[in-house]
Amino acid sequence: MTETNIIQLQGIEKRFGKFVAVSDLSLDLREGEFFSLLGPSGCGKTTALRMIAGFQEPTEGKVLIDGQDMEGMPANKRPTNMVFQSYAIFPHLNVGNNVAYGLRNRGISKSEIDTRVKEALEMVELGGLEARGANELSGGQRQRVALARALVMRPKVLLLDEPLSALDKKLREQMQFEMRHLQQSLGITFVMVTHDQYEAMTMSDRIGVMFDGRLVQVDTPQTLYAKPGSREVASFIGEMNFLPAEVTAETGDTFSISTPGFGAMKIEANPNVARHGRHISVGIRPEQLEIARHKPDGYDGTVQGVVRDVAFYGENVHYHVGVEGLDKPIAASVPNYFHTVDHAPGDKVWLGVQAASVIDLGEDKQTS
Amino acid sequence: MDDRPLSYPLEGTRAWGKSLAGLRSEKAKGLALSAPATVYVGFLVAAPLVILVAYSLWTQTYVSIDRTLTLANYREALTDPLVRHLMIRSILIAAAVTLATVALAYPIAYFIALKAQRKTLWLLLITIPFWSSYLLRVFAWKLILGFNGVMNSALLGVGLISDPLTFLLYNEFSVVLTLAHAWAPFAILPIYVSLQKIDPSLLEAANDLGSGKVQQFLRVTLPLTIPGIIAACLIIFIPTVGDYVTPSLVGGSDGKMIANLIQVQFGAANNWPLGATLSLLAMMSVGFVAILFVLSATGLGRRIR
Repeated sequence: MTETNIIQLQGIEKRFGKFVAVSDLSLDLREGEFFSLLGPSGCGKTTALRMIAGFQEPTEGKVLIDGQDMEGMPANKRPTNMVFQSYAIFPHLNVGNNVAYGLRNRGISKSEIDTRVKEALEMVELGGLEARGANELSGGQRQRVALARALVMRPKVLLLDEPLSALDKKLREQMQFEMRHLQQSLGITFVMVTHDQYEAMTMSDRIGVMFDGRLVQVDTPQTLYAKPGSREVASFIGEMNFLPAEVTAETGDTFSISTPGFGAMKIEANPNVARHGRHISVGIRPEQLEIARHKPDGYDGTVQGVVRDVAFYGENVHYHVGVEGLDKPIAASVPNYFHTVDHAPGDKVWLGVQAASVIDLGEDKQTS
Repeated sequence: MDDRPLSYPLEGTRAWGKSLAGLRSEKAKGLALSAPATVYVGFLVAAPLVILVAYSLWTQTYVSIDRTLTLANYREALTDPLVRHLMIRSILIAAAVTLATVALAYPIAYFIALKAQRKTLWLLLITIPFWSSYLLRVFAWKLILGFNGVMNSALLGVGLISDPLTFLLYNEFSVVLTLAHAWAPFAILPIYVSLQKIDPSLLEAANDLGSGKVQQFLRVTLPLTIPGIIAACLIIFIPTVGDYVTPSLVGGSDGKMIANLIQVQFGAANNWPLGATLSLLAMMSVGFVAILFVLSATGLGRRIR
């Protein structure tokens, strides 16, 4: 299967006066993929999306859509459509006319407009609501209208700016699945901007992580989680315990390390990390840790500590365990299998970890 | 401990009594606060209006007023061609003023709301004409448009004309021009507010869905500012129909309006009942035209898709 790049961003940069919103961003998006730009607010992800849409011109670099240079091409001439964060539903038009808005710009016959509007509304499960006023819609319905209004244009790329941030948690989770299914059945490339890691992970084929205007890592959700390219990516996506480690021996793709507490282990080198020194930082996800009253068997590394805090989340329980020699407690998360909270603050416990769960994060800037 | 069950009903009663007292004082507060305005409106608006209606049903007999109720004044006013002519002219002049003012105000409001950096400064500048009195401004226009006025002297000086222009002053044109200038800020402000309220992402959405600048304006900006346009039109149209100062100063005989006729009835002609009748008829005509306008404007706005 040959994959074509529907969008190519070639070294784009956007400056507002002296402020650099996006710097040297190069990215290829494949036809039919669900791509997310993930990052904290103000990292430049929305600016990047707006440059694809045509609302902003890059200061430097090129945006290519379907192989065509978009320089000087206004938003109304680009083969992209956008779902806005506020949904931007036209308040003076009813649902049907909102969805028909773009089609009327194209000189399409009235009967075809009606058919396509009907299809689009049925696709987002709002069939028959054409006459509903824009102000009589719930948050979820507004989101669906915005989606239908963009998709009815049959864009080559659908751009979504924080499309779910205005919805409550339950509806957001439901829409994540629906949008994913919609994207897969239509085969249109979706580019979504979000600050919500869970949203990005559940919906996307690939995620691009941005910090301070820079794209720092592009990978599948699983790879991002398991092999983050840096400490900042690791702490932005999911929770992570960071430990200093000393490399004692290096053989090909594996290191022998020694960490305070867990002791000596052999871990795999992370290909996404650029530099390695003698002092590195390693990460362990809280859910990868075993917590037990007695020293657990069969683990590559174990350490004893004292429970400081217990947080009951329902589906799992988080323990913060203080370990001698570490300034920060280690977080361990245990699924709530038997509806019991086994440890209380002050209890002496053992933590166990497998070497495969210890992530190499490269040079530890804090110790070197 | 054992007095606890007893304290419950007591507390309940106290709470109930308190909320009742709160309600009573709320109501009293409301009445107290609205009383001055109610008295003011009652004495200065409602009462004069009642007197006006009463006068319109009486008749003038040379020096005294005949207080038998009759519709004779209305009959006379409605059949008199002069009244009809002046009424229609007043409405047409007011409509022209409204149209000219709103058409000129819209781009200014658009600029301030969507393009200008220092909005407050611009809004302040717009109110500058109000720093001098209305009468002075009308006189200023007289000086500008007059036979030996600023405009004619300038055009003569430049050599564009050989004789002073006479169509500048003492006609409908000068009335429309003067009023349009006087009312401009009243049109700019409501339109500015309605433009200011438009979420910029709506314009981006229109752009994203294939609308160019013109389509964006016609299909999104304009329909969303219709409430502002209607407000501006009513604010200008209603008082302009009854304007008296401007037509009498710059209107000449061609520019006279219904208010000038009403003034004559209360003055030289000394026919207060007919004056009252004309005032009420003017009010009704204005109301009728205004309602017709609001309905058709909202109707038209709804048709934009």
